[in-house]
Amino acid sequence: MGSTLRRRAMLAAGLSAVIGLTAACSSGTTTGTDSGSAAPSASGSVPTTVSGTVRVLMEGVPDTDVVKAMLPEFNKVYPNVNVQIESIVYDQIKDKIVASFQAPQPTYDLAIIDNPWMGDFARAGFLAPLDDRIAATPGYNYDDFAKPLRDIGTVDGKVYGVPFYNYGLGLIFRKDLYAKAGLQPPTTLDELAADAAKLNTAGTAGIAMQPQRGYKAFEEWGNYLFAAGGSIYGSDNKVHINTPEGKKALETYISMYKSSAPANSLNWAFDEALRSVSAGKSAQMVSYNWMLPTLNKSGGQSGALAGNFALSTMPGGKQVLGLWDWAIPANSKVSDADWAFVSWLTSPSGEKARVIAGGAPTRNSILTDPEVAAKGYGAEYYAAVAKILGNSAPLCSGSNCDEMITAVGTEINAAVAGQESVDDALKNAEDKANQIQAQ
Amino acid sequence: MSFRNRMLAPLLVLFAAAVGYPLIYSFYLSLTNYSIIHPKTTHLVGADQYVRAIHDPDYWSALRVTFIFVICSVLLELCVGMALALALQRQRWARNFTRSFLLSPMFVTPIAVGLMFRFLLNQQLGVIPTLLAKVGVTYDFFGVDRALFSLVVIDVWQWTPFMVLLLLAGLESLPRQPFEAARVDGASPFYTFRRITVPMMSSVLTVAVLIRSLDAMKVFEYVYAITRGGPGTQTQTAQYFIYQTGITFFKLGLASAMAYILLAMVMVVIVILFRSVERAKNA
Repeated sequence: MGSTLRRRAMLAAGLSAVIGLTAACSSGTTTGTDSGSAAPSASGSVPTTVSGTVRVLMEGVPDTDVVKAMLPEFNKVYPNVNVQIESIVYDQIKDKIVASFQAPQPTYDLAIIDNPWMGDFARAGFLAPLDDRIAATPGYNYDDFAKPLRDIGTVDGKVYGVPFYNYGLGLIFRKDLYAKAGLQPPTTLDELAADAAKLNTAGTAGIAMQPQRGYKAFEEWGNYLFAAGGSIYGSDNKVHINTPEGKKALETYISMYKSSAPANSLNWAFDEALRSVSAGKSAQMVSYNWMLPTLNKSGGQSGALAGNFALSTMPGGKQVLGLWDWAIPANSKVSDADWAFVSWLTSPSGEKARVIAGGAPTRNSILTDPEVAAKGYGAEYYAAVAKILGNSAPLCSGSNCDEMITAVGTEINAAVAGQESVDDALKNAEDKANQIQAQ
Repeated sequence: MSFRNRMLAPLLVLFAAAVGYPLIYSFYLSLTNYSIIHPKTTHLVGADQYVRAIHDPDYWSALRVTFIFVICSVLLELCVGMALALALQRQRWARNFTRSFLLSPMFVTPIAVGLMFRFLLNQQLGVIPTLLAKVGVTYDFFGVDRALFSLVVIDVWQWTPFMVLLLLAGLESLPRQPFEAARVDGASPFYTFRRITVPMMSSVLTVAVLIRSLDAMKVFEYVYAITRGGPGTQTQTAQYFIYQTGITFFKLGLASAMAYILLAMVMVVIVILFRSVERAKNA
């Protein structure tokens, strides 16, 4: 969901890396182990003679372009599998794949699933469990995926999705402004508020915020909730945000919006915050971790500010997590070919090639791989991503997540707008969220 | 079957397939608990979805927002459109250029208009707030109690040309004699407008208001591109709410019931409007 703008500037370099890797690699092997810097090889569970056309619907973002660029390499290993990628805008994906899931003859044979949809789709029987395929794939090393990412793809004890790319959030800030003000990345929510106030000047807002009604407001505020020591779900698996921590988080969120965010930014979302920060009109923002390379790209949208941005975890270390998973529809007629492609792409070596080409990482081993650091965006960046992926949680788990997220995000936005008190907003949000998830 | 009926048959078949089937099927859905993600548990629930919709305060709030939006935008479009149409009627030179230039906003797709204004009106990055700031004016276009009016203004910007088009056609089709007689009798321009132009244009005005009202009732793109219904629910229109209920939250049965309630309301308004026009004609 958060991938409406993805590192377009990085793409050229990324694709070059893939092409280079492709050229350097020998023709496909059929060995079952995927390690080192070799090209991703065949999945041990699916013979390289498997054939079929795999039609997949994806979002039109650079991560998709990275995958497209890797297809020739895949076909060296699986020459008889024809992967056809259709790219569309985010808002049309769900309608189309749900229609395909229910059709006797599916329109798409493979799907990418945004994390709020996973519970509903798996429980509706739309997706095929992948546990047996994962277990039968030598060298796949499923446990290498960051645990919070694995948890998203696991519904009622079964794995329905394997991670494609993460969109975990973090604090992206201007190093030069922090140094000038004598600041270090904040470790508490109060420090974040104080830092934003200190950085707030006539020409530069202390922080670009995204309180737009719905998903954005909840996504951003969720980070504040975690930073205040709160959580979205209690031990009873019910939403518990009407808590002292929730109140502290929302009060701080509103106070920071009023004192340190750009004026009149109540409807701001991802695009506006990114443009504000990249134009030097805001000192920091809570955003997707993979925005850092974009902002630091020389000759990119940040202009002369490129190189001045750094990434940190949220104060307290925990942040909101987003993820796109690969999943095989239950009605797919070419599930072997599906898994051949997915397991090849998400294998340790496939992931390595994808991340070097500019894709967002999901495996722990990739985050500490010196070759990835050297050919990718540097060890410092991947270390920060490792911290983010290691301690993060999605906004919603269970059923009716889109509705639940919208309901909570509406209440958060209303509180920021002053239409509701903090107490009322939190109470309404918690009540509505639990009511929606109980349906 | 008579020749006349046979000639009508292709149109009736096409109408039944293109309009009748979706209407009947969505009415059927409104009587079920159909959810896209739980298709196997679908069963008839009678009028439950209608009762649920009627008891949903958010639905009524969305309807209220929609009606405010329609009334404000259509009234403004009517006033501005009439003023422009009267001016264009008297224009002597560059008529074609002016008319095509004025009509251009309505050829832009509404979602693009929404995205365009989202950034044009952005306080920090937009050109309009920057220009206003130069004359010492700061205005929060999408703030509390203002966002809906901003959407109205955007709608007026895009759809006033449509009103101009209809009204100008109406004005140019009016007979000249009553206006010449009024001029000879020394009637003021305002008196002529009130007593001659408006009464003679009543049918055109009704149709123009009706078409624009029905179109404005469908407002979705500006909300989707700019506010997502916020602040709070202040710009959550009926179409956006129904879209979210049916497509985003998968509750097609409930969304269909909401759509049918809206349709019934609109039909009532249309019938009343046409009857009042008929009465005025017969009086």
